[in-house]
Amino acid sequence: MSPAPLTPAVFHILLALAEGPLHGYAIMQAVEESAGLAMGPGTIYGTLERLEACGFVRELPSAARADRRRTFTLQPAGRAALQDEARRLARLAALVRAKRLIPRES
Amino acid sequence: MREHGFSRAAYRLLLRLYPRGFRERFARDLEADFLEMARTRGPAFAWRRALADVVRAVPLTASDAAGERARTARIGGPIAPPGDPFMRSLLFDVRHAVRALLKAPAFTIVTILTLALGIGANSAVFSLVNAVLLRPLGFADPERLMFVYEAIPESGVALFDVSPPDYLDLVQYQRSFSAIGAHRTRMMELSGSGQPEQIDAAEITSSLFGVLGVGAAQGRVFLAGEDQQESDVAIISHGLWRRRFDGREALGAAIVLDRKPYTIVGIMPAGFEFPRRGAASNATPAEVWLPLVFTPFEKQARSMMYNHSVIGRLRDGMSPAQAAADTAALARRIQDNYPAAIRNAFTLVIGTKMLTDELSGQVRRPLMILLGAVGLVLLVTCANVANLILSRSVARQRDIGVRAALGAGRLRLFQVLLGEALLLAACGGALGLALGYWGLKTIPAVLTTSLPGIGDVVLDWRVVAFTSALSLGSAIVFALVPLVAGMRRNLHDLLREGSARATGGRRQHRLQSGLVVTSVAFAFILLVLAGLFIRSFRNLVSVESGVGATNVLSLQVRLPFAAYNEGPRIRWFYRALEEQLRTLPGVRAVSIASDLPLEPDGERRAFTPENSATEGLQQTTAVTWVHGDFFGTYGIPIFTGRAFSSDEQRENRDVAIVSKRLASSYWPGGNPLGKRLKWGLPMSTAPWLTVVGVAGDVVEGPPGSDPLIHVYVPYTNVPDAGLAHPLAGLWRRLVIGVHGNQDALTFAGSARAMIAALDPALAISDVRTIAQLERDRSAPQRFSAMVISGFGAGALLLASIGLYGVLAFSVSQRTREIAVRLALGAPRGDVLRLTVREGMTLVAIGLVIGAIGAAAATRLLRATLFETSVYDPLTFATVPLLLGFVALAASCLPARRAAAVDPIIALRMD
Repeated sequence: MSPAPLTPAVFHILLALAEGPLHGYAIMQAVEESAGLAMGPGTIYGTLERLEACGFVRELPSAARADRRRTFTLQPAGRAALQDEARRLARLAALVRAKRLIPRES
Repeated sequence: MREHGFSRAAYRLLLRLYPRGFRERFARDLEADFLEMARTRGPAFAWRRALADVVRAVPLTASDAAGERARTARIGGPIAPPGDPFMRSLLFDVRHAVRALLKAPAFTIVTILTLALGIGANSAVFSLVNAVLLRPLGFADPERLMFVYEAIPESGVALFDVSPPDYLDLVQYQRSFSAIGAHRTRMMELSGSGQPEQIDAAEITSSLFGVLGVGAAQGRVFLAGEDQQESDVAIISHGLWRRRFDGREALGAAIVLDRKPYTIVGIMPAGFEFPRRGAASNATPAEVWLPLVFTPFEKQARSMMYNHSVIGRLRDGMSPAQAAADTAALARRIQDNYPAAIRNAFTLVIGTKMLTDELSGQVRRPLMILLGAVGLVLLVTCANVANLILSRSVARQRDIGVRAALGAGRLRLFQVLLGEALLLAACGGALGLALGYWGLKTIPAVLTTSLPGIGDVVLDWRVVAFTSALSLGSAIVFALVPLVAGMRRNLHDLLREGSARATGGRRQHRLQSGLVVTSVAFAFILLVLAGLFIRSFRNLVSVESGVGATNVLSLQVRLPFAAYNEGPRIRWFYRALEEQLRTLPGVRAVSIASDLPLEPDGERRAFTPENSATEGLQQTTAVTWVHGDFFGTYGIPIFTGRAFSSDEQRENRDVAIVSKRLASSYWPGGNPLGKRLKWGLPMSTAPWLTVVGVAGDVVEGPPGSDPLIHVYVPYTNVPDAGLAHPLAGLWRRLVIGVHGNQDALTFAGSARAMIAALDPALAISDVRTIAQLERDRSAPQRFSAMVISGFGAGALLLASIGLYGVLAFSVSQRTREIAVRLALGAPRGDVLRLTVREGMTLVAIGLVIGAIGAAAATRLLRATLFETSVYDPLTFATVPLLLGFVALAASCLPARRAAAVDPIIALRMD
């Protein structure tokens, strides 16, 4: 059975971290760019804290931080969840196309 | 930079909303992110994002913290969020309200700004009125205190203060007052440690603080005998104590005033102010009080030195009217004590006035006008907020209907709406309070000298309470409006109808139209007030002051008696200073005089012109002693004759220059040159002075008042003994004027240095330019005109917003109707005209009502306006045009939207 879908916030944060460790502000900018989602730093940190509790992300030790900000990196469990979600979305997209609900992009 | 600091502090406050554990971990990062956002994308963006962020993130982090606790406690299953249910629902309501308001930003911003404007203007003006009219004077039972005046009807001056022998007679004869005291003010030089400075001093009789019912905070007030013989005791103000002694022990310490040591025996409480501002004379609050000791000469100075303000406290059971009558009856007895030669030359009158009236009388009317104007602004505000809320309630009715259908109780619904209204009111109130605070800060400093008690206007708790009550009251009313409107309607209908038809209907439209008419009418009145004040102000400043040169640096020194007790020493000082100042590069003319043109504090003297019919003319004139190029410095023209020659400045030649007004009143028709005048009444033995020139008139005192008649004489006219006399403070005050080619203020440094080189202990005061002085003189009127114009502009804006709101509402309500008309072939131009006509009809009704109201209201202004009719045709013609034009613009926007309705889409919407 496929896992429960991720919320858009979680999905986009994990997506942003897929390319490497980032701090909160950079995640915010990446999410805004990739998804057009306006998320404040509070929402980002709140979500990161939850993801940390699930073992999806991990905060880097302070020595590794750039400009003394808290920086987070993706864990193997997080990457797996992201891949599951991406597959789920791809299946959905295929389903949508098969039913000809949206015109074929051209 | 400060703004940044403020932003950061405010954001830190916001962070407190997060659960503590989260805050401890992320606060620093959040703050850094916020600052980066503010820097790169602007503070407005950062705040919008931060506020939305809090709403989303707080619940997220809170339940997360709860989940964390659950995990650590190894308890599975669902966990209720922490906190008591009421707080949770309140938090929920606030979150809901923030979301709802953010979704309708135009409504939110306009409502908050409207509230802020109304509340801000109200609290600022209320504080002002509170400070000036309502706040106690700091004296015991001030309504039992009366000023006592003297007057000589023949002098042409309404009322003046009391002369020393007359005061002593009053003390002896009067029975109406339980105690009576006198004071006079002067400037004194404070030297010793620290920079020498000029401070305001008041000489008071020992009885005076007893009359006022005030005591010292430390030490004591003066003892009964201390005003009977020369004494060296002094009482200082709290402010002076903090400034010069840094709050250290000062009782018994010495203080050097006019180079003479005094011993401090008392320190008055903080906030004590005496003399109070606002009185006609002796009205500068003092920083040091000395005993008023009359010299033998002063005790005999009948018909002289009418410069002692006298205050009495009414005896128990004595009414003010009775005291006034009794005191007036003493005049004859006192006049009988005058020397035989002058006893019957005039009539002496003694008058009284309530102290409270005297102190606030001059400013009561302008403040009341301000209060009236702000009341109108408040009414426009209320009308507008009601209008906005009504428009919005239509949108909310469906929402409320759904909630009620799903089983929400009335109380719960009220809570939801209250959350939204409270948020609006809190934002509006806070912004308004800030606006009011800022308004009070920007009241020009000059007002502090013309309004009593204004120096220390602060937003006090009463004002804050008033404002809070205003915002809270409006919040509750706002919350009720949509609830009542939503509840009254049948829920079933509400849910069944399409959204486009879920409207408040005809009743609401009529109510809103009425509110628009009201706003327009009030805006009309306010704009007329503003127009009249602006016209009056322009008339006032266009009056020539008579002083042609404005780029003149003016500064003052006072030569203390202890160091300048011989005539030659004083002459040496002013001559040396004038010569040195003339050598400064760029200086065109330099003068030293006994007072400054434009300021009404110069000497007034009785005089007798030769061969002149003085019947019905006043017998006193303003007089100024001058040295150097006085007329050239201040740009006062010499019409006939000449300025003083250097010979006349070197030694006395008994010459004088008179003002044009004096020459034409006393020697009408003839050539004034060669005419003579002398000081004193006709029997005086003073030498005759020959007129050598006629100078232009100068308006001294408030702008718009008539110029005084004026006599100018060289300092050489005063003999050495007179110049150096200990009582002759008049000639020890030197007003220095420097007129140059470049900005006059640039001479200040060199002038200071030159004075310090002549006498390093001298205090320099009143450094300013004539241009500044002229601006300051009209500042109260400029302030009134500005404030009322601001109110007028605000009301205009509010009225047009209201109009826009109503029309937009009406258009959205009639979208179907318009669509049908268009589908049936009505031209779009007709639809446009229809909407504009609807708006302009409301405006026309408002204009008619406003014009009637304005005509009634402006009559109250008659005494306040300067050479402006209260029915000023220009104002009454411009205001409706302006209002009409703005209203037209406001109705065009919704009209265009109506004309742009696409019938196909509009009809398919249902």
